[in-house]
Amino acid sequence: MSEILLQAENIDKRFGITHAVDNVSLNINRGEIRALIGENGSGKSTFCQMLCGIYTIGGGKFILDGQEMHVKNQVEANKMGVSIIVQEMGTLSGLTVAENIFLGHEDPFMNHGIKNTRAMIREGQKLLDEYGFNNIKAGAMIDNYNFEDRKLVEIVKATYMKPKILIVDETTTALSQNGRLELYKIMDAVRADNRSVIFISHDLGEILEHCDTISILRDGEYIDTVNSKDVNEDDLKRLMVGREIGSAYYRTDYGKPISDEVVLTVKNVTVPGQIEDVNFELHRGEILGFGGLSECGMHEIGKAVFGASWDRQGDVVLADGTEITNIPQAIRHSIAYASKDRDNESVILNESIRNNIILPSIEDLANKHVLSAGKLNHFAKEFADKMQTKMQGINQFVSDLSGGNKQKVVLARWLGKGSDILVLDSPTRGIDVKVKQAIYALMSELTAQGKSIIMISEEIPELLGMSDRIMIMKDGKINGTFMRSESLSEEDLIAKMV
Amino acid sequence: MAIEKKEQSKISEFIDSDLFKGLLPFIGLVVILGVMYWLTEGRIAQPKRMRLLLSQVYYPMIVATGVFFIMTLGSIDFTEGSTLGVASIVVSVLSFYNIPLAILGGILTGAAIGAINGFFHVKFKLQSFIVTICTMYLFRGVCAYLTTETAIPASAAIKALDSDNLKISITVAVLVIAFFLFKFTRIGNDVKAVGSGETAARFSGVRTDKVKFLTFVAAGALTGLAAFVNVIKVGSITATAGNQLETQILISLVLGGLPITGGAKVRFSNIIVGTLMYTVLNNGLVMLGFESATQQLIKGIVFLIFVALTIDRKALKVIK
Repeated sequence: MSEILLQAENIDKRFGITHAVDNVSLNINRGEIRALIGENGSGKSTFCQMLCGIYTIGGGKFILDGQEMHVKNQVEANKMGVSIIVQEMGTLSGLTVAENIFLGHEDPFMNHGIKNTRAMIREGQKLLDEYGFNNIKAGAMIDNYNFEDRKLVEIVKATYMKPKILIVDETTTALSQNGRLELYKIMDAVRADNRSVIFISHDLGEILEHCDTISILRDGEYIDTVNSKDVNEDDLKRLMVGREIGSAYYRTDYGKPISDEVVLTVKNVTVPGQIEDVNFELHRGEILGFGGLSECGMHEIGKAVFGASWDRQGDVVLADGTEITNIPQAIRHSIAYASKDRDNESVILNESIRNNIILPSIEDLANKHVLSAGKLNHFAKEFADKMQTKMQGINQFVSDLSGGNKQKVVLARWLGKGSDILVLDSPTRGIDVKVKQAIYALMSELTAQGKSIIMISEEIPELLGMSDRIMIMKDGKINGTFMRSESLSEEDLIAKMV
Repeated sequence: MAIEKKEQSKISEFIDSDLFKGLLPFIGLVVILGVMYWLTEGRIAQPKRMRLLLSQVYYPMIVATGVFFIMTLGSIDFTEGSTLGVASIVVSVLSFYNIPLAILGGILTGAAIGAINGFFHVKFKLQSFIVTICTMYLFRGVCAYLTTETAIPASAAIKALDSDNLKISITVAVLVIAFFLFKFTRIGNDVKAVGSGETAARFSGVRTDKVKFLTFVAAGALTGLAAFVNVIKVGSITATAGNQLETQILISLVLGGLPITGGAKVRFSNIIVGTLMYTVLNNGLVMLGFESATQQLIKGIVFLIFVALTIDRKALKVIK
């Protein structure tokens, strides 16, 4: 048996004028966890989606176990031994957990065209129990479970048939600490079984800790493959970007005093089923971080402050006594919000960059309610450029942009509005190093101008690196508050989360 | 073989391009005009014919202007026909008292029906498709009930107003005002934003519920105004007044290039080009002597082709 499990030979893919994957050749050995890294748009996801049959192969070939792959779709790829866990929701609602697990592989449960539901549920439950996810019931509807539990179901679905290659495409951003640990365990088990994992993530720390080897792509081209133990995060960043990334990634200042001026007070705020009796004050010029496990209610804090929660009780009050109760009012009183669910709640995908940027500012730009196209274009261009949005022009649709550039459009919109209080939920979720760096720099610049930021984040290093104060939530309540300090460690925060 | 494939993909790329989708309605209008001119041996371009053709354009164009805004929201409205019927009855009855009162009565009737649609659509979060099909039957029933005994006549005074100048003026005024609101105020932006992505629009400060409700009210009011134009033309109202107007408007707007998903890619020209195209197609088919069943069949085929060509595949979703 040869050492090499998968050979990719001259793999190529174009979308229109974009050369997404440019003649990539690489080998993956048996029993290794291989990370695939690169900035947004470097071609790593496209590469994997060709491997698992989601996209057709543009050129070149994949040879798995000495056999060339000719797969037309994901089910065929599964049968050849390649399966994938994706970043977005990969389960179908309206089906039971068991039906989701065995989707496309119902044959063993079919008897003359009639499905044996009971056998399917029994098998499904057996698998879930084996994985240690016994809080999930195979017979229940998938809709009864939250995003994270659904991800665990997807993990079972992708791995129960023991694929030769398991692709994990930015799955960890959707998982809490616990879910991640489960996933790492499964990846280790695949390796122990002499099979292989392809792991895609933007979290370099996670990659160095859990992967054996790392392949780097840049602008669709293959750059290099390195051993994890020979490199550090800075080496990887340099390889991804092709130049030295400055040291100013997170903030480096400590001990900056927080202003006494309170700009926003949250009093006894409760959102049924989400957060309970939350109280805090936001000070002028500070970055207030919120962290916790994914279901701790921290994301609802952002919505509550922005007036977007359904059925909120308690008060959100500005320094001048204005109570915030709905979104238009929040925007008018200089509050901005960038949602974690960027594609649904932040940008309008099927709209131009221009119209996304001007939307909250339209009234300010109108002259006695009359709009001038020239003025709107100028405004949109000014702030898109200020954010250095990579675009063909302001009339390009947002749906064409990468995650990082979408976030730049969101920030351009609120910069244009000139908001003084910014609520940023997972501001760098799924965003590459270069854009991350730009966003952190912008946050520092804004607070220096006296603007205040509430940053909700699932990334502990980000919380430690950027916040003046950190509040950790647990079960809908604030469970601990920390001041910025060099001695503060990840463990301190995690201790308050679980 | 490989070259052929490449060319094919170029063609399909062109069909999916915005340029083609923008040009298609104009090309369609020219082609349909040309074909009809040829088939009727030029008779369709006779001045008498043209005037008749134009006289059929006014009130559908006014109605289509309102529905254009509703469809931009990504919603749909099936009540235009029955609204026109009920509002025409109100206009006819009131025309015996006072003409301005009759006009106002028609507009308010339309606005009230629009408000009912908007209320159920927004407050109960029902799809507009379902709501307006229900209210369509409801008001069609009202219309039939009021006209069971006899057709409802309008006053001689209102019929005396029938002139092309008046009808043209009203239609042009509606188009100009609507164009201004759509292009140069935040109304157009808000309506498009709701159509492209309602949740994101709400998080950007658009009062989505208010926008949707008021759009339905305004569209109803425009249909009420169209009822006035209808009454001065026909003079008496029967149970079939405005019959199938809703499908005519829907087909017109789609022929005009309006993507049924609404949103960012709608153009105001969709209203004008679409209504003209439908009227030419309709008249041509009548002049060519097709039976009404065959006419429907041909219209159905043309409609299907246009929906398939103009739909925005990226924005595919259920009609709200």
